[in-house]
Amino acid sequence: MIIEKHHREKIKKNKPAVLGLLFIILLFVTAILGPFLTRDPNEINFNDKNLPPVGFSIEQSMYNIKTQELEVTERKGSWEHPLGTDDRGRDMLAMLVSGARVSLEVGFLATGIAILIGTFIGVVSAYFGGWLDNALMRFTDVIMTFPFFLLLVLIVYMYGPNMVFVILAIGLTGWTGAARLVRSEVLSLRTLDFVTASKALGASDPHIILRHLVPNTMSSIIVIATLSIPGVILAEAALSFIGLGDPALVSWGKVLNAGQDSLVTTWWVAVEPGMILFLTVLAFNFLGDGLRDALDPKSE
Amino acid sequence: MRLTRKVNDIVLCVRNLRTYFFTEKGEVAAVDDISFDLKRGEILCIIGESGSGKTATALSILGLIDKPGAIVSGSILFNGTDIAKLSEGKMRNLRGNKISMVFQDASSSLNPVLRIGEQITESLVQHLKLDKKQTRERAVELLASVGISQPEERLDEYPHQFSGGMKQRVMIAMALSCNPEVLIADEPTTALDVTVQAQVLDIFKELKNSTSVLYITHDLGVVSEIADRIIIMYAGKFLEMGDAREVLMDPKHPYTKGLVGCLPSGKIKGRLVSIQGSIPNLIDLPEGCVFCPRCPDAMEICRKETPSETGISDKHSVRCHLYGST
Repeated sequence: MIIEKHHREKIKKNKPAVLGLLFIILLFVTAILGPFLTRDPNEINFNDKNLPPVGFSIEQSMYNIKTQELEVTERKGSWEHPLGTDDRGRDMLAMLVSGARVSLEVGFLATGIAILIGTFIGVVSAYFGGWLDNALMRFTDVIMTFPFFLLLVLIVYMYGPNMVFVILAIGLTGWTGAARLVRSEVLSLRTLDFVTASKALGASDPHIILRHLVPNTMSSIIVIATLSIPGVILAEAALSFIGLGDPALVSWGKVLNAGQDSLVTTWWVAVEPGMILFLTVLAFNFLGDGLRDALDPKSE
Repeated sequence: MRLTRKVNDIVLCVRNLRTYFFTEKGEVAAVDDISFDLKRGEILCIIGESGSGKTATALSILGLIDKPGAIVSGSILFNGTDIAKLSEGKMRNLRGNKISMVFQDASSSLNPVLRIGEQITESLVQHLKLDKKQTRERAVELLASVGISQPEERLDEYPHQFSGGMKQRVMIAMALSCNPEVLIADEPTTALDVTVQAQVLDIFKELKNSTSVLYITHDLGVVSEIADRIIIMYAGKFLEMGDAREVLMDPKHPYTKGLVGCLPSGKIKGRLVSIQGSIPNLIDLPEGCVFCPRCPDAMEICRKETPSETGISDKHSVRCHLYGST
């Protein structure tokens, strides 16, 4: 309905957007099917600890109890752990796959909540105007100035590191940009003739809002949602990185944090989640930019 | 007996309607003391320049005047009930159902992201409570009735796939979907080219006897083709009102004379006449007759007193001091 044929053609021509979309689809498939195929990310095996990824090798000095000497052994990556293991022998691939699920869950659910609230507040504010508009926009300003990361830390501190609270906290504070965008769009839409025409045919206010105004802002909403997902994923990673993530879940931020101490020796523990985080954020941004270029009527 | 019959023949009866807009610069009397009757089955044309209050009159009837505007006084009787005083909910039941409206610019009056079918069926679902299959059948019927070929397939298309004339026909189909008693058409052919304009006008002509039409335009050519009666509006006031043929053949008010003089005609050779000056600022209206600053026949009294309505014949009346004294 909103993304029409000529939009699809336009996105197809935008190489980074296509790559981004493919990466995101791949990430989705991995997150959904991956955990059934990989090892248990929480399985600890000290025999296999600090294994490098396939194709890499490190020299490791190990204390041999029998000979009472320090032996230098070369350890090579094996296909058993294609991306290596961390200092407790946990499989990196399994952890990253499990982290993808966490990141996408947080990214999509929190953004979904934020977009719903933002669209509602924006459209109501612009459509009814007057004191309601003023009140809602000042409320938006207040939420906007609130240091959201501090709130997150506070919530985790008060209620414990639970993923549901993290999602709710990000969703309930992250809607301000969407609200302002939707409001500005609806402000110009509501003066258009089709709104008056619909009123003249007896349409009610909720009907006009849901059937006429919201579908017309949909393209902007899709773009802002796509562009705000990476921010949310990064926020969750940052939270896990400083140790406030859900301890029951393996997330990219947590793995990254675990790897940062041994960056010189077992560099892959930090680099791998960092790379995947970087690529995910980049993919969403590319796709978001591509969607904006394709859906923006002014660029036609 | 005869009296009640006569009253029943009038669908819409507007009395002393005043719609003002309260702007920061001052009060604007967009509609100033206007009274008229719309009879069953007739086409009544309101003619006026841009900014003369035609659209404000139409929107007042539908109760769609937005802030900072408001209906200040007067009554709008629709089949005997004063709809100016109805609640918003009751008014909404009337709009699109008993009274509906076609707007000037069809391209912006259709929602670009909804299919034509969804938009046509909107008021059917709203007012007639039809089910899905019935609304679709009715929508096909409606599209066919306004002369759109292959209506079945056209229903699933988007507005941008329609031409300007077709969009306007879709708008008319939408307005007619619930068989309204009154159809208000606000310059429906202004944005169309002449051949398409003729086709759209034919739809209005065929409506006669089933729906009363209040047709708003600035185009005297259109008026002469379809109008039964006409009203000449200027700066929120009626200057002349009466039977279309009579007013156009024998205009009394200097403004009407000017308008008719502006029309090119095959018979008289020579330069086209135009009316000097432009419509006055509605915030700062001249005293007396609103037309007197541009009037070629202005007298002393015109600058002081607002002329009252004077009957020329039983079907023709004018507001001008030239005819007041006799």
